[in-house]
Amino acid sequence: MESLILQHLLNWLVLGSIYALVALGFSLLFGLLNVIHFSHGDVSMIAPFVALGSLQAIFGITGGAMGVLPILAALAIAILVTGLIGIGADKLVISRFRRSPAMMALVATVALGTVIRELIRGFYPQGSNPKAFPAIAQGFLEIGPLRLPAQPVLIVGTTVLVVALMYGLMQKTPIGTRIRAVAEDAATARLMGITPSRIFAFTFFLASAAGALGALFFASHAGVVRFDFGVQLGLIGFSAAVIGGLGSMTGAILGALAIAGIESIVQANIADGASYRLVFAFLLVILMLCLRPSGLLGKPVFEKV
Amino acid sequence: MSTTLTNIHSRTTLPASLIVAATEIGGAILLGAFLLAESTPLVVALLAVMGALFAAMQYRPQIEEVIVAAFHDARGLATALAVAIVLIYPFFLGGNTYALHLLIVSLLYSVLALALNFQLGSANIPNFATGATYGIGAYTSALLAIHLGWSFWATLPAAAIVATVFGFLLGIPSMRTRDSYLALVTIAFGIVIHQMLNNLSWTGGPNGLVGIPAPSLLGHSFMRPIELFGFRLPSQANFYYLSAALLGLAILSAKRLHESRVGLAWNAIRADELAAKCQGINVVWYKILAFGVDAFLAAFAGTIYAFYISYISPDNFTFLVSVTIMTMVIVGGMDNTLGVILGAFLLTMLPEKLRVFSDYRLLFVSVVVILFLILRPKGLFPQRQRHYGGQR
Amino acid sequence: MTTPLLKLSGLGIRFGGLVALDAVDLTVAPSTITCIIGPNGAGKSTLFNLITGIYRPTSGTVALQGDPITGLPAHRIAARGIARTFQSSRLFEDLSILDNVIIGMHGRTRTDVLTALLRPAKSRRELEACAAEAETILRGISDELFARRYQPAGILPQADRRRLEIARALASHPKLILLDEPSSGMDDRDTAALMADIRRVMADNPGLSFLIIEHDMRLVAELPDNVVVIDYGKKIAEGDFATVRQLPRVQQAYLGQKAVEHA
Ligand SMILES: Nc1ncnc2c1ncn2[C@@H]1O[C@H](COP(=O)(O)OP(=O)(O)OP(=O)(O)O)[C@@H](O)[C@H]1O
Ligand SMILES: [Mg+2]
Repeated sequence: MESLILQHLLNWLVLGSIYALVALGFSLLFGLLNVIHFSHGDVSMIAPFVALGSLQAIFGITGGAMGVLPILAALAIAILVTGLIGIGADKLVISRFRRSPAMMALVATVALGTVIRELIRGFYPQGSNPKAFPAIAQGFLEIGPLRLPAQPVLIVGTTVLVVALMYGLMQKTPIGTRIRAVAEDAATARLMGITPSRIFAFTFFLASAAGALGALFFASHAGVVRFDFGVQLGLIGFSAAVIGGLGSMTGAILGALAIAGIESIVQANIADGASYRLVFAFLLVILMLCLRPSGLLGKPVFEKV
Repeated sequence: MSTTLTNIHSRTTLPASLIVAATEIGGAILLGAFLLAESTPLVVALLAVMGALFAAMQYRPQIEEVIVAAFHDARGLATALAVAIVLIYPFFLGGNTYALHLLIVSLLYSVLALALNFQLGSANIPNFATGATYGIGAYTSALLAIHLGWSFWATLPAAAIVATVFGFLLGIPSMRTRDSYLALVTIAFGIVIHQMLNNLSWTGGPNGLVGIPAPSLLGHSFMRPIELFGFRLPSQANFYYLSAALLGLAILSAKRLHESRVGLAWNAIRADELAAKCQGINVVWYKILAFGVDAFLAAFAGTIYAFYISYISPDNFTFLVSVTIMTMVIVGGMDNTLGVILGAFLLTMLPEKLRVFSDYRLLFVSVVVILFLILRPKGLFPQRQRHYGGQR
Repeated sequence: MTTPLLKLSGLGIRFGGLVALDAVDLTVAPSTITCIIGPNGAGKSTLFNLITGIYRPTSGTVALQGDPITGLPAHRIAARGIARTFQSSRLFEDLSILDNVIIGMHGRTRTDVLTALLRPAKSRRELEACAAEAETILRGISDELFARRYQPAGILPQADRRRLEIARALASHPKLILLDEPSSGMDDRDTAALMADIRRVMADNPGLSFLIIEHDMRLVAELPDNVVVIDYGKKIAEGDFATVRQLPRVQQAYLGQKAVEHA
């Protein structure tokens, strides 16, 4: 009984961590650009493929047990590459819509997401098949009387660390100040000698790298990855960011935990729950937005008239 | 600018009726060639011709002005000729059922895109749930036909009413949420509907509903070919005429709403919601109304689709279907009826015609969409100003 | 005494800690022009936003011809006969100049969706009548605007944007028009024309009153029957301009402002 509760709790935290990492990217980018980067989920989902590819290409590993070093190296490469792809997505496509109506940027990024998925499907070896993804940690951890599976603990722990680092970066470092300055008012920031384009590049890197980590965790948690997993992950991450309040990091995390919570509860308590978890998650989204139109922690926008 | 308009007018020597006839017949021939083109080089060549036409219009906007002026001057002829072309069109496809099928799907997507255009184009309300209301229409009529034995003609209004109710429900959150937040509400609604269809037992789950009976009219079953004047059209022609009639209805509704106080109010909301309120426009009501109109038309399209294919499943009504409809509106040209229809035709037929590129066609289409948004951001045919008093 | 056209009693609003407007009383009689002056950030535009229902007051009431309209949604207040312009003009940029004026008539036209769909002739007739009237209004305001009526409003220069906003306000046949700094962006000739326009419109529409926020003191000296001074959200003076401008507290409010600006 107790272990069952523990298991649900861990499951909730793992899902919450994954969603939070993706949601943070949406929130960061929205705060900065006021644009919804709808392909964020698809960009993030590149990471597991890069990881699989590098495991194979560099270490010749195609499955089975493997050492810690190759996995760590593959994850690092995947995160780096995905971050750079994020910058590329901005430079190639998103940046061209800075001055267009929001709806155009939205559709453009949706199309970009399709491009990314189709590229993986078409050019990754047997890209349309699901691919087994290795666990990043195996076995159990004994903490006092508790015996916890290692991977979930690792996922949650790493996420807490990464999120803390991101907070520190945004609040305490010069680059964080500059990001916030550009988010507040790009024109004024430019007058103060900040180059917005560099800030954009950095933020896209950061958001995509965080999303990449989320996607890697997602893949190893599920044990499998497919070219189109990014759609759902992106939608959930986006929802988390929105119900938390777009532009607010804390909000994104709360939103992620809320959606993961609903999913876990439904899955644990309702027969056939697994198939309805998305229904409940998105009903929560609708309800939340009706009650709090700018999300949990979002600032209501006042138009100066 | 107004002087250049009159200049063009006096400079054109061709009579309006000739321009109208040439444009419509030319368009019909181009479409036919595209539909019947089997070989890839031919498809690509036809695409190049279309591209060249649009390039010409991009650099010589007067061409468009002249054509629009001609259509205005010879309205009666334009309508009559268009109706005639639509009526005789299947006879020229030489019994090619695949071409007819493509036409039907294009027509239905045109209706969906026009439905969405009331929101997205006229009022700038994001709605990612057109696919869902389309699905609600399809499932409602299919269930009524299968379980209660209703005829197609009876399910049509029933499905429209059910979907409209859902449309209004979906519109309610628009009272308080806007922009990205509203976009998410509609996305969430679409996903909830899709997941329900996927999971409920009475909707057939992921397998959907099969065996939707074919409609019949005055004793003529739509399963049977049309035989007329010694010609014989494949059974798809029934649905072709039905879809064309629906598109005609949609165009008429779009035109009438656009040229009325309602269309103006939507446009005002699109341009500046707050200023619109201060002109006495009940913004909340007009937004909900736009959701209702969208759902109403989408349900018609859904009903025809269900009876045409006779088999529906949740996968016909996904989030990506909604996004595709949205792309049609934006690529075609927001708030321009012709543009929206053209966008729907292109985005329906392009992936089909590029089947040779089998694995890469979706990639290709998406790249084209992105390029389009960058190069011609206002769409194929941008919106036009209204004119009054018989003027243009 | 007849009922006043507009009566504000104890009107106030706070944004979080900031009291933007505090217990303002104001009465506007029919067929009059009232000017509201005061330093930047005094709360003048906020007053307009309260009257027109953009913001909900946290205290006090607004009455139009004796009927309370406090807290009604903006579109209902507009339909009751209060039209306005905005400090930074808010036109329907991508719509034609003519359409901008026609939309101003929304509150007094009736076509709904069913009429538009099922009785197109009726709907069309209504719109054509609106178009004809809108052309008359435009011609009265400026021949230039009339000549360009099919062009999008977004391309107009500043002074014309102000004129078009006034034309749009007139189109609703209001009882009261609120103008927020109508002369900003206008040169002397434009301002003179603006004053002439306002007088002509007043003459053409008996009973119509204007409430005008203005910084241009020539206009304030010449046009209004009544001048109201607002500073830090409070009404600090009211009367005719000659009297009001002599008051020490008014001079102080403006001098304080000037001192700040020169610093
Ligand atoms: N929506 C809002 N939220 C918060 N504060 C507001 C809001 N609207 C106005 N304010 C504040 O209320 C005060 C009064 O602003 P208002 O725009 O009414 O000034 P004003 O007298 O019109 O000044 P100006 O001459 O510059 O137009 C200002 O301090 C302003 O920042
Ligand atoms: Mg002001």
